[in-house]
Amino acid sequence: MIKIRVALAGNPNVGKTSILNHLAGINLKVGNWAGVTVEKREGKVIYENYEIEVIDLPGIYTLEPISEDEWVAYNFLTQEKPDVVVNVIETSNMERDLLLTIELLEQEIPMVIALNMIDEAQKLGIEIEKERLEELLGVPVVKVNGRTGQGVKNLVEAIIKVYENKVKPKVITYSEPLESYILRASQSGKESKGELIRKLSYSKDAVEVRKDLERTIGRKFADLIKEERFALAHGLYNEVVKRKPITSKDMTELLDKFFLHPYIGIFSFLSVMFVVFKIAFDFSTPLIDWLDGFINDFLGPLMDKGLAILGIGDLLRNFLAQAFIGGVGFVLTFVPLIATLYVLLILLEFSGYLPRVAFIMDRFMHKIGLHGKSVIPLLLGFGCNVPAVLATRTMESKRDKLLVISMIPFMSCPARLVVFSFFAAIFFKNPAIVIFFLYLLGIAAAIITAIILRNTVLKGTISHFIMELPPYRLPTFKITLKLVWAYLKDFLYRAGTLIFAANIVIWLLLTLPPGVENPKDSLAGKIGQTITPIFKPIGIDDWKMSTSLIPAFLAREIVLGSMATIYATEEEKKDKEINISQTFREQINSLVNAFKIALLNTLSPTPKAFEVEEEEDAQTLRSVISKTIKPPTALSFMVFLLIYTSCLGTFGVMWKEVGRKFAILFLLYSFVLGWILSFIVYHVSKLWIT
Amino acid sequence: MKLDQVKEGTVVQITNIEGDDLILRKVEAMGIRKGKNVQVLSKLGRSILLKLNNSKLVITKDIAKYINVQ
Repeated sequence: MIKIRVALAGNPNVGKTSILNHLAGINLKVGNWAGVTVEKREGKVIYENYEIEVIDLPGIYTLEPISEDEWVAYNFLTQEKPDVVVNVIETSNMERDLLLTIELLEQEIPMVIALNMIDEAQKLGIEIEKERLEELLGVPVVKVNGRTGQGVKNLVEAIIKVYENKVKPKVITYSEPLESYILRASQSGKESKGELIRKLSYSKDAVEVRKDLERTIGRKFADLIKEERFALAHGLYNEVVKRKPITSKDMTELLDKFFLHPYIGIFSFLSVMFVVFKIAFDFSTPLIDWLDGFINDFLGPLMDKGLAILGIGDLLRNFLAQAFIGGVGFVLTFVPLIATLYVLLILLEFSGYLPRVAFIMDRFMHKIGLHGKSVIPLLLGFGCNVPAVLATRTMESKRDKLLVISMIPFMSCPARLVVFSFFAAIFFKNPAIVIFFLYLLGIAAAIITAIILRNTVLKGTISHFIMELPPYRLPTFKITLKLVWAYLKDFLYRAGTLIFAANIVIWLLLTLPPGVENPKDSLAGKIGQTITPIFKPIGIDDWKMSTSLIPAFLAREIVLGSMATIYATEEEKKDKEINISQTFREQINSLVNAFKIALLNTLSPTPKAFEVEEEEDAQTLRSVISKTIKPPTALSFMVFLLIYTSCLGTFGVMWKEVGRKFAILFLLYSFVLGWILSFIVYHVSKLWIT
Repeated sequence: MKLDQVKEGTVVQITNIEGDDLILRKVEAMGIRKGKNVQVLSKLGRSILLKLNNSKLVITKDIAKYINVQ
């Protein structure tokens, strides 16, 4: 196998990802560039005797890097030097795109040009003389359609040919005397034109040459080279484009009349978000419930039975049941939600609607110091914090991204709602008002956090807003599925390993020392009793309540279950005898049923996912709780649960997206903030209700 | 006139772009270059929506004030 490393470079929204999809097939991977939160998409093509590794660079307009993603692309091209660069051009915006082409040619790396979206260009009446472009630049040019995959095979062949024949693009020569000054900046005689220009622009070594040049010509070097590049792009464009584009009134114009309208635009945005939420949660909830049942009522007992037959001891069986089925199984139940949300997010991303939302909402968001783009992740947070954090990948500035990620965990998710409605219904006449107050408190905590961060570690102004609103486009079904699969793989692998590890720790805490019968005597119980003094000032002075906060870190909805265990109200566990073939048949039936409910829910006009169901064991727990604690304590407990430490899923994804230090610091911060708010709420409410 | 003072709906030609800020280089790379015609489609908050050839661009007013038009 001969290995070739290929980088896809091009402006944003020119369809690089679609081309990568067609190239890589199922070998598509998504992840992060090392050390930064810029998304990395890569894939592998096996063709004849070649293994071609394709890396999708972040979209850039120029090789003068400013933002994080532009630096990533720049560093990759100039330092890691791929074997071949594929410059993807949006044919209908060719004149703009050619600037980057020229800057790429200056790097003198073997190159292939892909004229993408050739179909859209044809509709606009644009005709490109491919052969003329090849002749002028000395690089092969391939016409492709990233949506259908047409021409992608030719692209692969062109890459191999360029690699094998070591075809170097024609060296770009600027006008005299500029050109000879550029060459004078050379020290080794081996630098590429791009390196020389950069040296002449910024390096101390070349300061004499630059001064000499600016004296002789009487103008700044930066302006001169810019004009030369623009002139070259303009000249190339006029040379190879046969017919000039006609402007057409198309779909994009029509849709933008609504989506970009100052008032209707906001209404359209809210409607779109409503639909996204509704589909994501209503479609996935029945499937999540099914998966949960399948894992806990079928796979778990099945595994346990199998292990018992093999003669495996109780302790190991218990460990596998709780840490493996409980932990990994828990991650798996997220899959329907994440998958559905990703399908919708990919549709939104590819459709070109997201930049329009940022434009419409920026006027509100920037008043509280946030970029327009932060709207979407924050709203998603109300559904589930995990995909919300992932959605910040589309943000360009690291500062804005960190701000938004620090706000997301305070957006109350349905898992917390389950706990809220349980407590609110016991202690308050008007539970809805209490719950609404908690949601508002979460938003307030998010804004407080943003203000604190903006005035301390994340100083600086909100980034400028410059972006392109691409025409509306739809990704093909195939591309969407492949991308969703790539995201899921990434999520399962990374979150799965971390959550599994954390589960082992919590399981150990609950089962050690060996032979422990009563949760009170376990390590977790001991810890609970030790930490109770910390919670006493906020009204939680019962070790049972503080202990149940420990497993709550796994997932909020576990709180009720673990409280039930700790308060020892749960019935003795029945030995689950299962009939494998019968249970299996039942599971299949309920899967079919779950799909049916999912579809019905999705089609029904009202959202279903927020209709809260009571847990089975809640009834007995309810009577115990109502006797043992007072309303202010309940309120304080809910506030604490709302604010403190995002759940393990969120923690894992934060760790992955922005790093360990940030995730741990955030955990501590949210703990302190939760404590302070609970303290205030507890003492204030004690004055009113006793 | 500066681009941030142009009324909605008007088509103007860019005469030059002042300043050395890197952000202006990016604006130029995105196609807003000397000699090009742009139409101001709408102004919203701190942003201006422009139409240029086949693309639509959003820039903030604090950038637009460096762009001279006629």
